[in-house]
Amino acid sequence: MITTASSITGQNRVTLRKTLVSCAVLALALLLAIVVMSLIGSEPLPARASLCALASFGTTTCGLSRDQFDILFQLRLPRILLAAAVGGSLATAGAGYQALLRNPLAEPYLLGISNGAAVGTMIALVFFGTNEWTRPLLAFTGALLATLAVYRLARGRAGATPERLILAGVIVTTFLSSVIVFVTTLMDATRIRSFTFWLLGDLSGSSKKLLPVTIAVAVVGTLALTLHARSLNLLMLGERDAFDLGVEVGRVRIVVFVVASLLVGSSVAASGSVGYVGLVVPHLARLSLGSDNRISIPAAALGGALFVIVADTVARTIIAPRELPVGAITALIGAPLFIYLLRRS
Amino acid sequence: MPQQIDRVISLAPNLTEIVFAVGAGDRLVGRTSYCDYPAEAKAVAEVGDTLHPSLERIISLKPQLVLISTASQLEVFTQQLQNQNIAVFVTDPRDLDGVFRSIEQVGQILGHDEQAKRLVQKLRDRAGAVEEAVKQKQPVRVFYQLSAEPLYTAGHNAFVTDLMRRAGAISVTADVPGAWPKYSNESALAAKPEAIILPTGGSMGTGNLTVTEALRQSPAVLEGRVYKLNDDHLVRPGPRAVDGLEEMARALHPDAFK
Repeated sequence: MITTASSITGQNRVTLRKTLVSCAVLALALLLAIVVMSLIGSEPLPARASLCALASFGTTTCGLSRDQFDILFQLRLPRILLAAAVGGSLATAGAGYQALLRNPLAEPYLLGISNGAAVGTMIALVFFGTNEWTRPLLAFTGALLATLAVYRLARGRAGATPERLILAGVIVTTFLSSVIVFVTTLMDATRIRSFTFWLLGDLSGSSKKLLPVTIAVAVVGTLALTLHARSLNLLMLGERDAFDLGVEVGRVRIVVFVVASLLVGSSVAASGSVGYVGLVVPHLARLSLGSDNRISIPAAALGGALFVIVADTVARTIIAPRELPVGAITALIGAPLFIYLLRRS
Repeated sequence: MPQQIDRVISLAPNLTEIVFAVGAGDRLVGRTSYCDYPAEAKAVAEVGDTLHPSLERIISLKPQLVLISTASQLEVFTQQLQNQNIAVFVTDPRDLDGVFRSIEQVGQILGHDEQAKRLVQKLRDRAGAVEEAVKQKQPVRVFYQLSAEPLYTAGHNAFVTDLMRRAGAISVTADVPGAWPKYSNESALAAKPEAIILPTGGSMGTGNLTVTEALRQSPAVLEGRVYKLNDDHLVRPGPRAVDGLEEMARALHPDAFK
């Protein structure tokens, strides 16, 4: 991984402008995607009336029938916003792990961190059934514990080499998968069916109460990591060098661990394990905008939102009125890219 | 197929029910963990669940015949049994007539032809009476909610789709491919079902008590036509499917049974 010299010697104004421009472009694209994907679904809606209703933020129906209005504002739009929050969260978390572990293959799903959050969510569902708020809390706890486990396992004398990291991820993932299998035996048969689908990443669960929380965590988490982007840039040189350059390595590490675990936890609690987003999107962000985290982290957040919105639109329409789990679509795109990255690294 | 069969293992709850219903329950030496009816069945040795039966335990029980319901998922398994010279009978009824055929076939194999024929005749009469009673009724447009989150329903290949038709209903998802498809919330809302069936309370557990959010404003909910029915009677293609048919028809068309 290359850190540009300019970002260290500080052409801050140039960087700031580049950040603002690329984020503005991505934000526009995201807004456009939200609007356009709102017009696509298993039930056809009249495009002009829908646009009119969207433009009025749902204050007028613009001639949409009651059902059409409900489909647009009660089902489709919340799901798209949830997709955006989940995508943004996972991509940001991925970018954070990659910077901290100095490894482009670090990804919440592949490292088993999503599985940690999934175990937390399942425990919440089995033991605290109706209380929705325990889900993100225990998911966060699970993600944090899994992160710490991977980190301890992956660190050798020479830092976290790609091989060690992936191996650590495999160990944590498979261990937690067995825990998941064990927990499912505590559930009744209908639940198990729902869970298999949910584990693959599914945005259809109308957890509307969790939507504002998921969005808030995505925004706050992205801001928090972006504010630490400069330290992360220095950390990519190596922890010792970063320390010599004045980075509080220990503190930054804790911040990234906690924030990334929060991001993974809230998105898994809302949608299960959507894989590969944290891998594909930060990689594309670095490829097109360079490896300066001040640009690539916010860009990854917006790009991740965009990616999952589009993937979920495919998932909910391609075999309509049936549906696929969105994780199947993201993995279909992500797995080949992962192999490509692995061969290059 | 051996002439005289004294030791049978059933790998599906509906087949266990059929074996007992034709009066051959005393010859059942193995069953799955899902086979919980009739009560006598629980005294029979378990050999695992429907999809993961233990081959070792099956062989050690020395059956002459193993009854299987989901053939495709157990292809390798079936082969292994046949290599052990254990006869395998596969049946996968997709509708009520298929259930009647299975009962007669199982009865025949176990030498209880007469009992099976009498049973089928009785079941046919009851099913016929239900269909006669609802014949003049306007069919009710029904949504079958297998689970709310994520939303699963009964598709074209589901056994219960045929039951709904016979009970004077039209499943709004009758043409969706597959048996238990994951269904779009939007499409469920747009279908505006007049009644909703929540299968619950049987061996699948006591969940599934609330209607999914997308259907909260549906005609079914607004008019209070949400019916919780015992899932064991609706999804097991066995003798009790006729109970399910009667319960469903009575719920949907109460005035037809006065």
